[in-house]
Amino acid sequence: MLSKSEQRGQAMEKMSYREKFVQMNKEAKATWAVMAVLIAFWWITGFGVSRFDCVIFNMPGWFVLSCLGVWVLSIVLVTALTTKVFKNFNLEDDE
Amino acid sequence: MRTFLVLSPVFIFLGAMLAMGFVIRKNSQKDRDADFSKDYFIGGRSLGGFVFAMTLVATYSSVSSFVGGPGMAWERGFGWVLFAMTQVLAVFPVMGIIGKKMAVIGRKIDAVTVVDVIRVRYQSNLLANLGAVLIVVFFCGSMTAQFMGGANLFAATVQGLLGQNGQIIGKASLFGAEVDYDYIAGLFIFSLVVVAFTSAGGFKAVALTDTLCAVIMLLGMSVIAYAILAHGGGMSGVMSVIGEQPHMLEPTAGGSIPVQLFISQWLLTGVCTMGLPQSLVRNLSYKTSGDLHRAMIYGCVVAGAMMFGMHLLGVLSRGVIHELPGGRTSDFVMPYLIINYLPPLLAGVAITAPLAAAISTISSLLLAASSSIIKDVYQHSIERKGRKADQKKLGRLSAATTALIGLTCILIAIKPPAVIVWVNMFAFGGLQTSFFWVFLLGFFWKKANFTGAFMAMTGGVFGYCYFMAARIPLFGFHQIVVGIGVGLVLFVIGSLLGKPTDEKVLKLFFPEQYPEGTKIEIPDKI
Repeated sequence: MLSKSEQRGQAMEKMSYREKFVQMNKEAKATWAVMAVLIAFWWITGFGVSRFDCVIFNMPGWFVLSCLGVWVLSIVLVTALTTKVFKNFNLEDDE
Repeated sequence: MRTFLVLSPVFIFLGAMLAMGFVIRKNSQKDRDADFSKDYFIGGRSLGGFVFAMTLVATYSSVSSFVGGPGMAWERGFGWVLFAMTQVLAVFPVMGIIGKKMAVIGRKIDAVTVVDVIRVRYQSNLLANLGAVLIVVFFCGSMTAQFMGGANLFAATVQGLLGQNGQIIGKASLFGAEVDYDYIAGLFIFSLVVVAFTSAGGFKAVALTDTLCAVIMLLGMSVIAYAILAHGGGMSGVMSVIGEQPHMLEPTAGGSIPVQLFISQWLLTGVCTMGLPQSLVRNLSYKTSGDLHRAMIYGCVVAGAMMFGMHLLGVLSRGVIHELPGGRTSDFVMPYLIINYLPPLLAGVAITAPLAAAISTISSLLLAASSSIIKDVYQHSIERKGRKADQKKLGRLSAATTALIGLTCILIAIKPPAVIVWVNMFAFGGLQTSFFWVFLLGFFWKKANFTGAFMAMTGGVFGYCYFMAARIPLFGFHQIVVGIGVGLVLFVIGSLLGKPTDEKVLKLFFPEQYPEGTKIEIPDKI
């Protein structure tokens, strides 16, 4: 989660109406990529690991890896997404 | 006495929400006199990141996230949690992909509802009205089902307390129909509260009560976890019981969840949730881009905690409840667990969680349905003639309409006709097939036009409902695959054949495809 100082560090950028849309298209593409990674991770850990008999916290290993894993991974990736790719700009007009 | 102790947290919670609704109504009077719809239907675009995330999560999670889903997990095991985790995509994609464009354009065209956006993007009153009708019909079906879910929960609680293992203890005759007392009492107590605070407080009340509901849901979840671990002998005790049922340890639950169903679920409760109007409309309500970014993270944390937590608890409850009393379905697992394995006050807190899930869904649907009638049809018909609607009158009408829709759904829920079960079953996927492509392609494909959108909306919904109703087998896939597939094909064909959208609209929605410095104009009101 963002700390207060990081929030301030992510300063509001001045952009034209057109530049905002270029940026928003970039953000949307990155979001699709995160979705694809999560789905792939879920399939691989959910069905790929199940044949190995491992147990974590008394529960089946595939379950912990895929279900808890996809949740944790979503938080990590979305945090990266919003801090590295997404930009802060005025939703109203700048011009 | 025990009944009183169990129900007291529920009543405190209901009272708190009612108070929030009326306080907000009092404090918003000034904003409402200036621009009623903007305050009442979207909260004046003032939501911060936390409340924005909580209202989206709470609206999405319903009674089935707390009762039906965990019940299924009790029956089928860890595979059902895997199934439920597809919902990891239920919150952040609608914000990350559509959220900002909708906020930027929404401010330009002063949009308050999803239908406002559709009207401008596709320059069509016909499409806008069709959207409004679909929203009202599907929302009423869903709301009625949530009312029934809440009332059933209430009934199960009271029966669990008073009766022997959940026998129905009394029957009454109401409007010629035989119903049981507990169900009716529960229905009226909790649903009147929801309708009252929504009608009085509008969007701000809905968003703030949603936030309270989300907190209660997490709290209730922890209490349920305590009940299971304390009575099941900790993780090792619980898991040794579950280990006796090998199918519960497999991802496909011993083959009972086929791979086609997993793929369908990634659409139905994953990717396509971007098309749910109750989620989309929230993109018009937040304040700054920073709030959106924070909401995406909070949303992942909280929604994931609920989906993972509740379904896991459903599985683990098998370690405490080995079998259900005769004649009860798996929906009874959670209420049964709460009533029988928790001290009264804690049971009250736990039972409030699924009620909160129902309430937070109903309030949002109710307000959105009301906005479809008041803002999209009534107010639009006045402003179209170049007049400004009387804000005071708009206020009275909106509160009355909200209350009226709510009361109608309550009355239907008393003795729901079979058609309601159908409408509710169609609602979730039906809303997605109606709005998914219209929004996604509307914001990201310049060629998308009225012809394509109209064909996709009508054809997709028709195809989806037809395949659902006729129960046409699809090699094990869910009908959403047909609805979304047919919708896409029709959308593309229609858009390529139809007339391109007005240039002014395209410059507003796709400025990146025009040279820098192109003048952006607001399209004329239609």
